Amino acid sequence: MHTAESRAGHAPLLEARGLSKDYGDTRALDSLDLAIAPGDVYCLLGPNGAGKTTTINLFLGFVAPSGGQALVSGLDVSTHDRETKQQLAYIPEQVMLYRNLSGLENLEYFAALGGRGSLGRGRLADILVEAGLEPDAVDRRVSDYSKGMRQKVGIAIAMAKEAAVLLLDEPTSGLDPKASNEFSALVERLRERGVAVLMATHDLFRAKDTGTRVGIMRYGRLVTELSTDEIGHADLERIYLEHMHD
Amino acid sequence: MIRHIIRKEFTDIVRDGRFRWCSILVGALLLVALGHGWVQARNAQQEHAAAQATARDHWETQGEKNPHSAAHYGIYAFKPRLALSFVDEGVDPYTGTSVWLEAHRQNDFLLRPAQDATAAQRIGVLTAAQVLQHLVPLLIILLTFGAFAGERESGTLRQLLASGIGRRELAAGKALGVSGALALMLVPAALVGAAALVVGSPGPAASPLARGVVLAGVYLAYFTVFLALSLAVSAWARSARTALVILLGVWVVNGLVAPRVAVDLSKWLHPTPSAIEFARTIEREMASGAGDISPPDRDASTERLLAEYGVEQVEDLPINAVGVYLQESEEFGNRIFDRNYSALWDTFERQGVVHETLAVAAPLLAVRTLSMGLAGTDVEQHRHFATAAETYRRDLMRRMNGDMAENSRTGDFSYAADSELWESVPPLQYAAPTLGWVLGNRILSLLVLGTWLVGTVLVAAARVRRAEVG
Repeated sequence: MHTAESRAGHAPLLEARGLSKDYGDTRALDSLDLAIAPGDVYCLLGPNGAGKTTTINLFLGFVAPSGGQALVSGLDVSTHDRETKQQLAYIPEQVMLYRNLSGLENLEYFAALGGRGSLGRGRLADILVEAGLEPDAVDRRVSDYSKGMRQKVGIAIAMAKEAAVLLLDEPTSGLDPKASNEFSALVERLRERGVAVLMATHDLFRAKDTGTRVGIMRYGRLVTELSTDEIGHADLERIYLEHMHD
Repeated sequence: MIRHIIRKEFTDIVRDGRFRWCSILVGALLLVALGHGWVQARNAQQEHAAAQATARDHWETQGEKNPHSAAHYGIYAFKPRLALSFVDEGVDPYTGTSVWLEAHRQNDFLLRPAQDATAAQRIGVLTAAQVLQHLVPLLIILLTFGAFAGERESGTLRQLLASGIGRRELAAGKALGVSGALALMLVPAALVGAAALVVGSPGPAASPLARGVVLAGVYLAYFTVFLALSLAVSAWARSARTALVILLGVWVVNGLVAPRVAVDLSKWLHPTPSAIEFARTIEREMASGAGDISPPDRDASTERLLAEYGVEQVEDLPINAVGVYLQESEEFGNRIFDRNYSALWDTFERQGVVHETLAVAAPLLAVRTLSMGLAGTDVEQHRHFATAAETYRRDLMRRMNGDMAENSRTGDFSYAADSELWESVPPLQYAAPTLGWVLGNRILSLLVLGTWLVGTVLVAAARVRRAEVG
């Protein structure tokens, strides 16, 4: 479905160069090298504690690297916090919103913080619907939104921001299959627009289906990297389990 | 970008039912306290004015009598309520507001000066100052403790910071958003207070508007201290619950523990005599003198007058030697009073310095001192009026004794003055201290409050910068 050629010739939007992170005596991430080009959906697979979320936190600048560099559009996150974040959108496992505000007001707020304050309410409402939210939910307070609805607002925030890079941390965890499929479809649309996506996930099926490349991590190290075009679901599962049992 | 944060915070807070109820409650208490204080102050001022007029009338219509008898008849002086006393009644309820001015005695203001009348005894009385000093900071804590810790717990902090907003911008936006929500409650109260000040000023003008503006500035600084402190703790604490517990602890220490400690420590460091001890000391010294202050010798006084006028007999003196002696007795008494009252007032002032110094641990102590000072209800301004009243008493006694000495002869007990003399005595015209005088007395509190303000803002900036995302 996705070809490596489609990404050829583009400078990576997201890049890790020997990126490491220590927490005390524990090495959470060990010399990670990674490059994600526009239109690339890179899925990080691995058990809990493998370093997936640490990698995302490093790209977000939430933690400082112990070694190496995290780059967004060639800019070091450590020294260009604001510039790099302007190009990023982030969707965590649970998109948390302000309960007293409606979906539209939440989007309005996050879009404004992301530098898209000029978008009118009408356009933002369209984006929410485009992200899959029912029109009658747009003006309802999010206190009664389901997790799937909140994830859609998260996608809408990324769409409104027109971010070049999307960081997803277990975005489909806890979603029902229908909601997961809808979410994957939205990611696919963003990929088609040239967004570079880094997704941490436990979901092998989703990784194969949505991703263009898959990296398997263990103990903070990237142990193998695969192109999803070259393997089937069963192959991915087998390779993953082999690495987990080493 | 910051305006979006302000707007969101404001909307979020205003829509929160807990805030609505809390602010309605605190706002209502504030307005009730202001209204009640204003009515009380106005009534007291009117009663004082009426009583002062009656006292003056009694003085002028006391009929013909010997001037020294008139000096004993005396007159009451009433301490005026200053314009802002309806905001903070300070120590007024404990110091009394009227004094009887008579011969030979510097009387106490209804309440004996030696009695401990520290401001801590006011706890339990609802005044606007109490609401501003205790309840508004509590409301600030309740609105702000989750600013970072709550966002961190709910996961929204990650999304906020991922959007590109800086931590300090976020903190500033939150602080201004909370301020905006608080303004919904405080601005109407401030307008009511200003209207009460302008429309129906209950007391003599002593820069009331300027005092009001400075008072508002003091309370704004105090609220900012709590806002910055709450943000700092929220940024530092692992959880919103921890932040709340810490901040409530600060509130209890600031509002309940520190004032009590300040009272006890100041009394321990600078003890004051009991009222009975104080009265006995004055009685003893009036009888036998103290140090180099000796009671006047009547015979020596008479001898001096005889020599001065070159006569042999007191009957030949052109003046009444008794009148001269009575004035000498007054001056002796004045020196005894000055010696004892000065020491007592100075002790009160030293106790006040202890309170002001302890404000380094609890900003309330600085704010309370400044609030009472600006409202004109602190110990220093009570002393200011007491000094003016005593100066007036001494002048009154000089006039009475002088008239007796000049217009009668020694041994002539039939001399009587009339209303012409009584009316020649001007009424007490009291000028309340200026704003500069008040602030000059309160430099230490201003410095400590300023240090709290700068310190907490800097700490908040530092803590917020290092706030963990979670």
